[in-house]
Amino acid sequence: MDNLIIEASTSSPRVRLDAESGIAEFGGESYPENAFDFYEPISLWFRRFIAESSAALRLQIRLSYLNTSSTKCLVDILDELDEAYGKGRDVRVSWYCDRRNERAQESAQEFGEDIDMPFEVLLEEGAS
Amino acid sequence: MSDGFDLYRLRMSLMEDDILICFNGPFSHSIIEEIGLAIRSYLESGETPPSASTDVFAVFVELAQNVQAYAARLKGVAGLRAFDAGTLVIGRTDARFFVSAGNVVARADMEPLAARLEALRGLDKDGLKRLYKERLRAPRASEGGAGLGLIDVARRASEPLRYRASEIDDRHLFFSLTVLV
Repeated sequence: MDNLIIEASTSSPRVRLDAESGIAEFGGESYPENAFDFYEPISLWFRRFIAESSAALRLQIRLSYLNTSSTKCLVDILDELDEAYGKGRDVRVSWYCDRRNERAQESAQEFGEDIDMPFEVLLEEGAS
Repeated sequence: MSDGFDLYRLRMSLMEDDILICFNGPFSHSIIEEIGLAIRSYLESGETPPSASTDVFAVFVELAQNVQAYAARLKGVAGLRAFDAGTLVIGRTDARFFVSAGNVVARADMEPLAARLEALRGLDKDGLKRLYKERLRAPRASEGGAGLGLIDVARRASEPLRYRASEIDDRHLFFSLTVLV
Protein backbone atom coordinates (compact mmCIF):
# COMPACT_ATOMS: atom_id res chain seq x y z
CA MET A 1 0.00 0.00 0.00
CA ASP A 2 1.08 3.59 -0.58
CA ASN A 3 2.62 6.00 1.87
CA LEU A 4 0.74 9.19 2.63
CA ILE A 5 2.70 12.40 2.91
CA ILE A 6 1.15 15.81 3.53
CA GLU A 7 3.25 18.94 3.92
CA ALA A 8 2.50 21.34 6.75
CA SER A 9 0.71 24.65 6.30
CA THR A 10 0.16 27.40 8.88
CA SER A 11 -2.95 25.67 10.19
CA SER A 12 -2.47 22.03 9.24
CA PRO A 13 0.20 19.58 10.38
CA ARG A 14 2.90 17.74 8.51
CA VAL A 15 1.84 14.12 8.13
CA ARG A 16 4.05 11.15 7.19
CA LEU A 17 2.43 7.76 7.12
CA ASP A 18 4.92 5.09 6.08
CA ALA A 19 3.35 1.72 5.30
CA GLU A 20 6.67 -0.09 5.01
CA SER A 21 8.17 0.90 8.35
CA GLY A 22 4.81 1.20 10.12
CA ILE A 23 5.85 4.63 11.41
CA ALA A 24 3.23 7.36 11.35
CA GLU A 25 4.19 10.93 12.21
CA PHE A 26 2.21 14.11 12.83
CA GLY A 27 3.91 17.43 13.51
CA GLY A 28 2.94 21.08 13.81
CA GLU A 29 -0.43 22.61 14.57
CA SER A 30 -3.89 21.58 13.52
CA TYR A 31 -6.75 24.03 13.02
CA PRO A 32 -7.56 23.67 9.31
CA GLU A 33 -10.60 25.29 7.78
CA ASN A 34 -12.30 21.91 7.53
CA ALA A 35 -10.77 19.34 9.85
CA PHE A 36 -13.05 16.52 8.67
CA ASP A 37 -11.90 16.98 5.07
CA PHE A 38 -8.28 17.19 6.15
CA TYR A 39 -8.35 14.04 8.31
CA GLU A 40 -10.50 11.87 6.06
CA PRO A 41 -7.67 10.54 3.82
CA ILE A 42 -5.51 10.08 6.94
CA SER A 43 -8.20 8.10 8.69
CA LEU A 44 -8.67 6.03 5.54
CA TRP A 45 -4.94 5.28 5.39
CA PHE A 46 -4.94 3.94 8.97
CA ARG A 47 -8.00 1.80 8.26
CA ARG A 48 -6.32 0.29 5.23
CA PHE A 49 -3.05 -0.22 7.08
CA ILE A 50 -4.86 -2.14 9.80
CA ALA A 51 -6.81 -4.23 7.31
CA GLU A 52 -4.11 -4.92 4.73
CA SER A 53 -1.00 -5.36 6.85
CA SER A 54 -0.14 -7.08 10.09
CA ALA A 55 2.95 -4.98 10.80
CA ALA A 56 3.49 -3.07 14.02
CA LEU A 57 2.40 0.58 14.10
CA ARG A 58 4.30 3.36 15.80
CA LEU A 59 2.48 6.67 15.95
CA GLN A 60 4.71 9.62 16.79
CA ILE A 61 2.94 12.88 17.48
CA ARG A 62 4.41 16.34 17.80
CA LEU A 63 1.29 18.49 17.69
CA SER A 64 1.53 21.56 19.89
CA TYR A 65 -2.06 22.61 19.28
CA LEU A 66 -5.24 21.02 17.92
CA ASN A 67 -8.55 22.79 17.65
CA THR A 68 -11.64 20.92 18.80
CA SER A 69 -12.61 19.64 15.31
CA SER A 70 -9.10 18.25 14.81
CA THR A 71 -9.20 16.75 18.30
CA LYS A 72 -12.40 14.91 17.40
CA CYS A 73 -10.85 13.56 14.20
CA LEU A 74 -7.71 12.39 16.00
CA VAL A 75 -9.73 10.73 18.77
CA ASP A 76 -11.66 8.80 16.11
CA ILE A 77 -8.36 7.58 14.63
CA LEU A 78 -6.96 6.66 18.06
CA ASP A 79 -10.15 4.75 18.89
CA GLU A 80 -9.75 2.67 15.72
CA LEU A 81 -6.10 1.96 16.50
CA ASP A 82 -7.08 1.03 20.04
CA GLU A 83 -9.64 -1.42 18.70
CA ALA A 84 -6.93 -3.02 16.54
CA TYR A 85 -4.70 -3.19 19.62
CA GLY A 86 -7.52 -4.95 21.45
CA LYS A 87 -7.50 -7.58 18.72
CA GLY A 88 -3.82 -8.22 19.19
CA ARG A 89 -2.16 -5.66 16.89
CA ASP A 90 1.15 -4.18 18.02
CA VAL A 91 0.38 -0.45 18.33
CA ARG A 92 2.16 2.22 20.34
CA VAL A 93 1.63 6.00 20.53
CA SER A 94 4.37 8.43 21.59
CA TRP A 95 3.38 12.06 22.04
CA TYR A 96 6.22 14.57 22.29
CA CYS A 97 5.63 17.86 24.12
CA ASP A 98 7.56 20.98 24.92
CA ARG A 99 8.87 20.57 28.48
CA ARG A 100 7.85 24.15 29.35
CA ASN A 101 4.28 23.94 28.09
CA GLU A 102 2.16 22.31 30.79
CA ARG A 103 -1.11 22.94 28.98
CA ALA A 104 0.11 21.07 25.89
CA GLN A 105 1.20 18.20 28.18
CA GLU A 106 -2.22 18.04 29.87
CA SER A 107 -3.97 17.98 26.49
CA ALA A 108 -1.68 15.21 25.29
CA GLN A 109 -2.28 13.16 28.47
CA GLU A 110 -6.00 13.48 27.97
CA PHE A 111 -5.81 11.75 24.59
CA GLY A 112 -4.39 8.71 26.38
CA GLU A 113 -6.98 8.57 29.17
CA ASP A 114 -9.65 6.48 27.49
CA ILE A 115 -7.60 4.01 25.48
CA ASP A 116 -5.86 0.77 26.39
CA MET A 117 -2.95 0.70 23.92
CA PRO A 118 0.49 1.87 25.07
CA PHE A 119 0.45 5.68 25.07
CA GLU A 120 3.30 7.76 26.40
CA VAL A 121 3.85 11.50 26.73
CA LEU A 122 7.50 12.43 26.35
CA LEU A 123 8.98 15.79 27.20
CA GLU A 124 11.43 17.49 24.88
CA GLU A 125 13.42 20.68 25.02
CA GLY A 126 11.67 23.28 22.88
CA ALA A 127 9.64 20.70 20.95
CA SER A 128 6.70 22.01 19.03
CA MET B 1 -13.90 65.03 7.91
CA SER B 2 -11.75 67.61 6.17
CA ASP B 3 -8.80 66.29 8.18
CA GLY B 4 -9.68 62.68 7.42
CA PHE B 5 -10.82 59.97 9.79
CA ASP B 6 -9.73 60.49 13.39
CA LEU B 7 -7.60 57.38 13.72
CA TYR B 8 -5.83 58.83 16.75
CA ARG B 9 -9.06 58.82 18.73
CA LEU B 10 -9.63 55.15 17.87
CA ARG B 11 -6.04 54.34 18.78
CA MET B 12 -6.32 56.11 22.15
CA SER B 13 -9.53 54.31 22.92
CA LEU B 14 -7.96 50.91 22.14
CA MET B 15 -4.92 51.76 24.25
CA GLU B 16 -7.03 52.90 27.17
CA ASP B 17 -8.72 49.52 27.24
CA ASP B 18 -5.39 47.72 26.89
CA ILE B 19 -6.43 46.15 23.59
CA LEU B 20 -3.57 44.33 21.88
CA ILE B 21 -5.31 43.22 18.72
CA CYS B 22 -8.63 44.31 17.28
CA PHE B 23 -10.22 43.05 14.10
CA ASN B 24 -13.54 44.00 12.57
CA GLY B 25 -14.56 42.59 9.22
CA PRO B 26 -15.24 39.37 7.34
CA PHE B 27 -13.52 36.34 8.90
CA SER B 28 -11.86 34.13 6.34
CA HIS B 29 -9.61 31.21 7.12
CA SER B 30 -6.52 33.06 5.91
CA ILE B 31 -7.36 36.02 8.14
CA ILE B 32 -7.71 33.66 11.11
CA GLU B 33 -4.27 32.23 10.27
CA GLU B 34 -2.71 35.69 9.98
CA ILE B 35 -4.17 37.01 13.22
CA GLY B 36 -3.13 33.75 14.86
CA LEU B 37 0.47 34.27 13.75
CA ALA B 38 0.38 37.86 15.02
CA ILE B 39 -0.92 36.74 18.43
CA ARG B 40 1.74 34.04 18.62
CA SER B 41 4.60 36.37 17.86
CA TYR B 42 3.27 38.96 20.30
CA LEU B 43 2.89 36.43 23.15
CA GLU B 44 6.23 34.76 22.49
CA SER B 45 8.10 38.05 22.48
CA GLY B 46 6.88 38.84 26.00
CA GLU B 47 7.00 37.15 29.36
CA THR B 48 3.83 35.11 28.82
CA PRO B 49 4.20 31.51 30.06
CA PRO B 50 3.77 28.93 27.25
CA SER B 51 0.61 27.50 28.88
CA ALA B 52 -1.10 30.91 28.85
CA SER B 53 0.00 31.53 25.26
CA THR B 54 -1.54 28.22 24.23
CA ASP B 55 -4.81 29.07 26.00
CA VAL B 56 -5.09 32.55 24.46
CA PHE B 57 -4.32 31.15 21.02
CA ALA B 58 -6.77 28.25 21.44
CA VAL B 59 -9.58 30.51 22.63
CA PHE B 60 -8.95 32.86 19.71
CA VAL B 61 -9.09 29.99 17.16
CA GLU B 62 -12.30 28.46 18.55
CA LEU B 63 -14.13 31.77 18.78
CA ALA B 64 -13.00 32.96 15.35
CA GLN B 65 -13.91 29.63 13.73
CA ASN B 66 -17.29 29.70 15.48
CA VAL B 67 -18.03 33.14 14.03
CA GLN B 68 -16.91 31.96 10.60
CA ALA B 69 -18.96 28.76 10.76
CA TYR B 70 -22.06 30.60 11.96
CA ALA B 71 -21.80 33.14 9.14
CA ALA B 72 -21.51 30.30 6.62
CA ARG B 73 -24.58 28.61 8.10
CA LEU B 74 -26.62 31.83 8.00
CA LYS B 75 -25.82 32.53 4.38
CA GLY B 76 -28.83 31.96 2.21
CA VAL B 77 -31.34 31.74 5.07
CA ALA B 78 -34.41 33.55 3.79
CA GLY B 79 -35.32 36.77 5.55
CA LEU B 80 -31.97 37.18 7.25
CA ARG B 81 -29.26 39.51 6.19
CA ALA B 82 -25.98 37.94 5.14
CA PHE B 83 -23.38 38.57 7.82
CA ASP B 84 -19.89 37.33 7.35
CA ALA B 85 -18.34 40.03 9.47
CA GLY B 86 -17.33 39.64 13.06
CA THR B 87 -15.49 41.63 15.68
CA LEU B 88 -12.61 40.24 17.64
CA VAL B 89 -10.56 41.75 20.39
CA ILE B 90 -7.65 40.44 22.42
CA GLY B 91 -6.68 42.50 25.39
CA ARG B 92 -5.33 42.54 28.89
CA THR B 93 -7.11 43.23 32.11
CA ASP B 94 -5.02 43.29 35.29
CA ALA B 95 -2.50 40.55 34.70
CA ARG B 96 -4.72 38.36 32.53
CA PHE B 97 -5.58 38.14 28.88
CA PHE B 98 -9.08 38.18 27.52
CA VAL B 99 -10.52 37.31 24.14
CA SER B 100 -13.86 38.78 23.03
CA ALA B 101 -15.62 37.82 19.84
CA GLY B 102 -18.91 39.11 18.52
CA ASN B 103 -21.15 38.70 15.52
CA VAL B 104 -24.67 39.30 14.34
CA VAL B 105 -26.98 36.39 15.14
CA ALA B 106 -30.55 35.59 14.22
CA ARG B 107 -32.75 36.41 17.20
CA ALA B 108 -34.18 32.88 17.11
CA ASP B 109 -30.71 31.40 17.70
CA MET B 110 -30.04 33.41 20.83
CA GLU B 111 -32.20 31.44 23.26
CA PRO B 112 -30.62 28.00 22.66
CA LEU B 113 -27.17 29.60 22.64
CA ALA B 114 -27.82 31.37 25.95
CA ALA B 115 -29.12 28.11 27.43
CA ARG B 116 -25.90 26.33 26.37
CA LEU B 117 -23.75 29.07 27.82
CA GLU B 118 -25.67 29.11 31.11
CA ALA B 119 -25.21 25.34 31.38
CA LEU B 120 -21.45 25.76 30.88
CA ARG B 121 -21.34 28.61 33.41
CA GLY B 122 -22.81 26.26 36.00
CA LEU B 123 -20.10 23.61 35.64
CA ASP B 124 -16.78 23.40 37.47
CA LYS B 125 -13.54 22.19 35.83
CA ASP B 126 -14.33 18.50 36.41
CA GLY B 127 -17.87 18.89 35.11
CA LEU B 128 -16.58 20.64 32.00
CA LYS B 129 -14.02 17.91 31.41
CA ARG B 130 -16.69 15.20 31.71
CA LEU B 131 -18.99 17.03 29.30
CA TYR B 132 -16.12 17.60 26.86
CA LYS B 133 -15.22 13.91 26.81
CA GLU B 134 -18.84 12.92 26.39
CA ARG B 135 -19.23 15.20 23.36
CA LEU B 136 -15.89 14.18 21.91
CA ARG B 137 -17.19 10.68 21.24
CA ALA B 138 -20.73 11.67 20.32
CA PRO B 139 -21.72 11.20 16.66
CA ARG B 140 -20.79 14.18 14.49
CA ALA B 141 -24.33 15.11 13.53
CA SER B 142 -25.41 15.78 17.11
CA GLU B 143 -22.49 18.09 17.68
CA GLY B 144 -24.29 21.17 16.44
CA GLY B 145 -21.88 23.91 15.39
CA ALA B 146 -20.36 25.36 18.51
CA GLY B 147 -20.71 22.31 20.78
CA LEU B 148 -17.17 21.20 21.53
CA GLY B 149 -15.61 24.57 20.87
CA LEU B 150 -17.50 26.39 23.61
CA ILE B 151 -16.73 23.66 26.14
CA ASP B 152 -13.03 23.82 25.27
CA VAL B 153 -13.08 27.59 25.65
CA ALA B 154 -14.84 27.30 29.03
CA ARG B 155 -12.20 24.83 30.19
CA ARG B 156 -9.39 27.23 29.31
CA ALA B 157 -11.09 30.19 31.00
CA SER B 158 -10.17 31.28 34.50
CA GLU B 159 -13.69 32.56 35.15
CA PRO B 160 -17.15 31.58 33.87
CA LEU B 161 -17.84 32.76 30.31
CA ARG B 162 -19.50 36.14 29.96
CA TYR B 163 -21.79 37.05 27.14
CA ARG B 164 -24.25 39.69 26.07
CA ALA B 165 -26.76 40.31 23.34
CA SER B 166 -27.24 43.84 22.00
CA GLU B 167 -30.34 44.89 20.10
CA ILE B 168 -30.09 45.50 16.37
CA ASP B 169 -33.61 45.02 15.01
CA ASP B 170 -36.55 42.65 15.40
CA ARG B 171 -34.74 39.78 13.68
CA HIS B 172 -31.12 40.31 14.65
CA LEU B 173 -28.96 40.67 17.74
CA PHE B 174 -25.29 41.34 18.20
CA PHE B 175 -23.91 38.52 20.31
CA SER B 176 -20.60 38.87 22.11
CA LEU B 177 -18.68 36.44 24.23
CA THR B 178 -15.78 37.28 26.54
CA VAL B 179 -13.30 34.70 27.78
CA LEU B 180 -10.86 35.59 30.51
CA VAL B 181 -7.86 33.28 30.29
